[in-house]
Amino acid sequence: MTPLPLPNRWWLWAIVAVIGSWAWTVPFVPLGVAAGTACTTAIAVVLIAGYAIKRRGAEPTLASYMTTAGGEPEQRASDELEALLSKPEEMVPLPPVDQLLKSMETENHRRRLEDLLRRWVDVAHRYSEAALVLRKEIHTVVGHTEQAANTISSSFQAVINKATLQAREAMELLEGTQGGQSEGAPQSLTDFIRVSDERLTKMADEVVRVADLSVQMVKELDGVQTRAQAIDGFLLDVEKLADQTSLLALNADIEAARVGEHGRGFSIVAQEVRRLSQRSHEFSDRIRQHLKEVKVGLHKTYGDMRNLSAADMEHALKIKEDVITLTRSLEGKNREVAETVGRINTISREIAQDVHNVVVSLQFHDITSQKLKGMLEPMDDLRRMLFHLMQETMATGKNLLPQKEEAAPAKPEEAAEAQPGSSDAALRKLRAVGVSTNGPSVELF
Amino acid sequence: MATIMAVDDTASMRQMISFTLNSVGYDVIQAGDGAEALKLAKDRKVDLVICDLNMPNMDGITLVRSLRALDTYKFTPILMLTTESHADKRDQGKTAGATGWIVKPFNPEQLVNVVKKVLG
Repeated sequence: MTPLPLPNRWWLWAIVAVIGSWAWTVPFVPLGVAAGTACTTAIAVVLIAGYAIKRRGAEPTLASYMTTAGGEPEQRASDELEALLSKPEEMVPLPPVDQLLKSMETENHRRRLEDLLRRWVDVAHRYSEAALVLRKEIHTVVGHTEQAANTISSSFQAVINKATLQAREAMELLEGTQGGQSEGAPQSLTDFIRVSDERLTKMADEVVRVADLSVQMVKELDGVQTRAQAIDGFLLDVEKLADQTSLLALNADIEAARVGEHGRGFSIVAQEVRRLSQRSHEFSDRIRQHLKEVKVGLHKTYGDMRNLSAADMEHALKIKEDVITLTRSLEGKNREVAETVGRINTISREIAQDVHNVVVSLQFHDITSQKLKGMLEPMDDLRRMLFHLMQETMATGKNLLPQKEEAAPAKPEEAAEAQPGSSDAALRKLRAVGVSTNGPSVELF
Repeated sequence: MATIMAVDDTASMRQMISFTLNSVGYDVIQAGDGAEALKLAKDRKVDLVICDLNMPNMDGITLVRSLRALDTYKFTPILMLTTESHADKRDQGKTAGATGWIVKPFNPEQLVNVVKKVLG
């Protein structure tokens, strides 16, 4: 039944009709009859209007499709996406398709509709299959990234631990532990350098002191030598004196003999004096003998000492010079150690910054996998919606979709083989990514 | 030093929290979802809980409520660590009894500061 076309502002006409039907009867019939006619007209108008409105409300929205089928207005891609991904509303079931079609006025419209419906069903079918593939791929991606992130995270922690350990070992070697030393033995490189420095300097000073002592000794020996010579000289004098005394005694003896009897006492004295002077000769000889031995010993020692001390001093001074050079280079080494310690500390600080960056970045796996999983729900909803829509469409109009007959009862959950179409090729490419082959990983041509 | 429980369904997230807090001396135990976390919390007393919102078996807000229902955890600080920055989720967390809110990805220094602050 065709809808009754209602002019605009029908209610105005209704009022005019009521007044008119009442007005023209007034001069001819009693008031009551005129009123009755007016009421009847009013009721009839209202009934007809109500029926017309009801008919208009039942009219399907297909009419609006008809007007826009030719050129769908373009919408922005993001709007479409948002509409797709937002929670779907209650599905409004379409009225039976063949009724719609029968109500179409022209065969042309009908054919256009058929074609459109066919294409929509095709899209629904393909999307269902594509959605399953995409869902599997998304799960694979989430799985892979989780594995990779875990591996990176563990390896990263291991690397940091090892780096910390390395730095600590190096510091211990260079600076020593905080726990102190054991029995005075140096625990660290710096301590070792310091102790070596001290000991070498001490040794050098000792050597110089010894050399100095030997020089002193030589001086003393010189003095002794001189005194020995002096004693020798005195001995000569003593011997001369003894000889002279002996001669004098002899003369005295001769004079005493010349005197005779009175000189006998004197001659005994003279003889004693001679004996005494002989004794002093003997003493002097013995002293001289001792002195000779002392001189010989002294001479030997003196000679050795002299040679030794000269060489010693020179040697000692050279040693001291070498030690000074060595200690200077040890100081240099100490400075190097301090610099190395400083560099190690700087690197540790830089590592801390890198650690910070890695800790922040590694969290993105969690964020991205949440986003990916979040994509699955709207995809599934869309898939389910399309599936139901497809089923309903196909159930009501088998004559609509002859070429899809064989595929129609198949459930979209079954994995389908590749069908002609650019989206299928893209899906195949997507599936192939990341699939490992059993061949060699590197090959030269 | 204090014991902290890290609850998140992603292993790498738990590892990053653990790594960051271990390096300043805290002990960290891990749980993969709300149910596991609740069980661990009952077995031993922890001094602070850091948990995610979206987890299987029991989500973050339910976990906070369950913990606050226990006597030993009435005043334990609970920090929510999540990608969602919607105000309504934040308010839900606050109503459930959470002590604070950190958005992912977290800055390690900020995490350490806030932990030091709530643990005193």
